[in-house]
Parts: sequence; C-alpha cells; structure tokens
Amino acid sequence: MTDTALQAGSRASGGSQAKRQIVMDRAFQSATAFFAFLVLVILGGVFVSLVMGALPALSTFGFSFAYMQVWNPVTEKFGALAPIYGTVMTALIAMAVGIPISFGIAVFLTELAPPWLKGPVSTGIELLAGIPSIIYGIWGLFVFAPIFQQTLQPFLIDTVGQLPLIGHIFAGPPYGIGIFTAGLILGIMVLPFITAIMRDVFETVPPMVKESAYGLGATTWEVVWKVVLPYTRVGVIGGIMLGLGRALGETMAVTFVIGNAHRIGKTLMAPGTTISAAIANEFNEAVGELYISSLIALGLILFFITFAVLAIAKIMLMRMQKRAGG
Amino acid sequence: MQKNVRSYVTTGATAGALPGSAVQAGELTEKMSIRNVSFFYGQFEALKSISVPLYDRKVTAFIGPSGCGKSTLLRILNRIYDLYPKQRASGEVLLDGQNILEPGIDLNLLRAKVGMVFQKPTPFPLTIYDNIAFGIRLYERLPRDEMDGRVEQALRRAALWNEVKDKLNQSGLSLSGGQQQRLCIARAIAVNPSVLLMDEPASALDPISTSKIEELIDELKSEYCICIVTHNMQQAARASDFTAFMYMGELIEHGVTEDLFTTPKQKRTEEYITGRFG
Repeated sequence: MTDTALQAGSRASGGSQAKRQIVMDRAFQSATAFFAFLVLVILGGVFVSLVMGALPALSTFGFSFAYMQVWNPVTEKFGALAPIYGTVMTALIAMAVGIPISFGIAVFLTELAPPWLKGPVSTGIELLAGIPSIIYGIWGLFVFAPIFQQTLQPFLIDTVGQLPLIGHIFAGPPYGIGIFTAGLILGIMVLPFITAIMRDVFETVPPMVKESAYGLGATTWEVVWKVVLPYTRVGVIGGIMLGLGRALGETMAVTFVIGNAHRIGKTLMAPGTTISAAIANEFNEAVGELYISSLIALGLILFFITFAVLAIAKIMLMRMQKRAGG
Repeated sequence: MQKNVRSYVTTGATAGALPGSAVQAGELTEKMSIRNVSFFYGQFEALKSISVPLYDRKVTAFIGPSGCGKSTLLRILNRIYDLYPKQRASGEVLLDGQNILEPGIDLNLLRAKVGMVFQKPTPFPLTIYDNIAFGIRLYERLPRDEMDGRVEQALRRAALWNEVKDKLNQSGLSLSGGQQQRLCIARAIAVNPSVLLMDEPASALDPISTSKIEELIDELKSEYCICIVTHNMQQAARASDFTAFMYMGELIEHGVTEDLFTTPKQKRTEEYITGRFG
C-alpha cells in the first residue's frame, strides 16, 4: 500500500488512504488505551466505595478495628482480628499444602513422567481447576470433614499435638471443621492453578540448558532445583501468587468448612472465620449501619492484604533478580 | 603437531578399530573406543554399527552432512540420550576399558568424566561464579577460598578469566555469545573430566569468537581427549588431529586429519570434502 502511495500517478488516492490509516491507528490506540484505563477506573471505584462504606465503622472504632477480636452484633462492637487471622492462616496452610504438591506434580510431568501418563494427569489437573468452589465446600463438609475428624485429626492431635513448642497448635478436640480443614480444602483448590503454571513455565526451559546440567552429572533433583527453578523463578512466583490470591479471597468452600466462629482458637483445629466467609455469611442478616459498615471495612482490609501480598511478591522478585546478577 | 601424529600412525602396533593405521603403543592411547555401536530413535536406526577410536590428548573431529548421525554419536558418549525414552544404543563404548553402555553404570559419574559443550551457549541463569561452581559443588564440598581457586583456574583454562574477573557476580547471561560459550567450556572442565565432547561449539558464533574457541581447543587437547562435531570442514582441518567422515548413519572413513583431507581413501569422502554433495 505504501508502494502505491509513492507512485506519482496515484498520489491523490494514496494520500487519502494514508490519511485513513492514520485515523484508524489513532482510533485503535485510543480504544486500547481506554480499555487499559478502565481497569484503573474500576479499581479506583471499588476502593472509593469500600472506603466510603467502611467510614462509619472506622470512625467509630478507629485503628482498634484491626486488632480487636470482639465481634458482637448485639452490643455493636466489632473488631476484625479473628477474620484477619483466619484469612491469613487458612491461606498459609493452603500454600504449605499446595506449593510442595504442585511443585512435585509439575516436576513429575515435565521431567519424569512417561509420555502416556502426561496427558491424563494434565487433563485431571485442568478438570480439578474447573470444579466450582461450592462443590468443594459441600464435599469438604459432608465427605472430607467427617473422615478427617475420625482419622487424620485424632492422629495429628495424638502425635504432633504432643510435641513441645509446636504441639499446642495441633492440640484440642477434633471438631472436623475449622481453620485447618479450611486450609486443607483451599490447598486442594489452589493446587491446579499453581501446578498448571509451574508445568507451563518448566516447559519453557530449553532442553539444551537442562542437558548441560545433566551433562555435568547433575541428578534430576539438582537440575530442577538449581537450574530449572532459577530459570523460571518469575513464572513460579507468579503461579504461587495467583494461588495465594485465590486462597485469600475464596468464599464458598471456606464458609462451609471453617465453622464461622469469630474467635481466634488456641489451636488450628478450632473453628474460626475468614474475611470473605464472614461477609458472605452475615451480610444478609446485618442490621444497622455500623454492622454493615464493619463488614465493608473487612472487605477493605482484604483489599489491603491482597495489595500487600502483591507488593511483597514484586519486592521478592526484584531482590532475587539482583542476587542472580541479572 | 600434525607431523607428530603422522609419525605415530605410520609406526608401531595397530590400535582399536582403525584399519590400516598402525599406532605406536604408549604414545597414542585410546581413551574411548566405540565398537559396533548402533543407535535407534524408536524404530529408526540412526547409527549403523559404528566403530572408531578416540585418542587421549588428541582432537577427533566428526564431519558429515546434516542428519548423518554425528551429533547422535556424541550424545551416546555421555549417555545424555538416556534422558529420553525410546532412544537406545547397542554395541560397546569403552572408556578406560569399561563399557559405558552397560545398564549398571553410574550415569552421574560418567557425565562428570565426559564433559559436553553444546551448539548454543547454555549458561545457567546464575552468576558467572556460580555457573562454574555448579558442577564442582555436585561432587565436592570446598571451603570458599578453595572454590574461588577452582573457579579461577577453570576460567583461566578457558581463556575467559581476564574478561570476567571483575564481574564474577554478574549473570552468566550478561556475557556475549562467544564469552558464554567459553563460560560453558570452563564449566565443563571445572569438574576435571577426561573427555570433552563438543557439538558444533562455534556454529552460533562470529569468526573472532570462533577462532578463540579453536585456539582454546588446541590448548585444551594437551590435557583432554577431545571430540568435536562440526559442519565446518576448515574447522575440522584446522583444529583436529583425527577426522571421521560420517554419512547416513555410517562411518565412511576415519584417519589422520591431514591424510583424510588430502588423500581420502573413499570416493564419498572425496566428494564431500570437495563440496560435491552435502
């Protein structure tokens, strides 16, 4: 097209065509810029409405909202510590369970599995990701929790629970439901996401780089740990953060199995609540401006937690980059 | 050097599977002996009963058109093909008299003895220092100062020390292509292998880097048995003592480099080196 534009005879038509192209380019540019800008507008809007909704609670309780454990709709005293604790603890348990298992699956799929097994396992992982969270919740409450209560939980209480120092975390009566159960269910839920991303980024490592490491006499473990992981660290951390984000915000499944108690138990086996579970559970029944406002303030806190997690991930990546000299 | 090699070959006892070449015992030792080796990718026979000796402290070059199996042969010598299912080799490859194709062999130990350098530079995403230390750490626990010494030694032998000594903590990926390849050579020799395999080590490099690599090969052969695969016949002629010409998975001819290039015995060798096919 530029060729015709350069020909002397067709200068007029070429000129108009070029003009049209410029207009199209401009339009395209503004359209994409508008969409990108829209993200910020929506984010800003959510933030502003959260702050406005939370204002009554925050002005009543001040900073104590963030560290008070009491949650009493009758006396209208609200503190967010128990849901914050529950949110963070369940997410941590989910990560503690999900990351190693996902890593193992991803390593197996990319490095060790015979080709005929890769397909079925990969498909299984993807199907696991497609199960709605309410199914996990129902399964967790009616199937997993009773079995857990009768088998693993008493075992943990009898063994790990008897240890000094860390014992009290696993002590107490086996309720079946509680923070620990919710964490385990979350772990299963985030597993497919982390696994899928880890598998995909592991596969981006050039075979020749892996062969170089094997060629020096490294074992599969050494190749994965010292070459594949450093090579893919950005992607791996991205995958973990995606899982963590999901674990922090997951609502339905957690609501089913966490027990919904606004208190911080002495043990992880005790029932508790998370921010999203509390909001989902109580919003319908919340009466009074302060109650609703407190729930919205919980949402605001979750917003900050998620933001902090993202920021920490970015800082971590920057540090690793520096250490690797890149 | 070439003349010396020739005199070895024209006097003394026969060594290995090199027909017609008499090799004086003691001066020319077979580090690796490839005997009747065939190789299969699934059903496809990529190598057909190859027999060729690799002499210690000499450079053996493998030349031939693309797909003739020379890289495949190299990949047998440290059994890197073992990483992939459906690839298998038959026959014997002796390293210091031991058959490395036997099932019970310790692959990690074998690969420590038989180092490999690839077509493209493959630095690990670590610092220059850690790239070298990587291999050493697999086998030895050294205090920091000893490790520093080993890293420096390897980089010096790979003629890279002067260029990187002030930036050992930078990423290996920050180096130029030629430097990266020398880093990979340094990494391979840091674990003190006895054999060094090079699969077209200069094919991705500019002429200056290429000549640096060739100089390096010439220096390193005083310590190692070096086996190099190359597309570049001038490179084979310049850098090697022995040359093997392969075609369609078969070994057509093997001999002293100078002889092979000046008076090839086989018609196909002659056709290839004169550029009539390939």
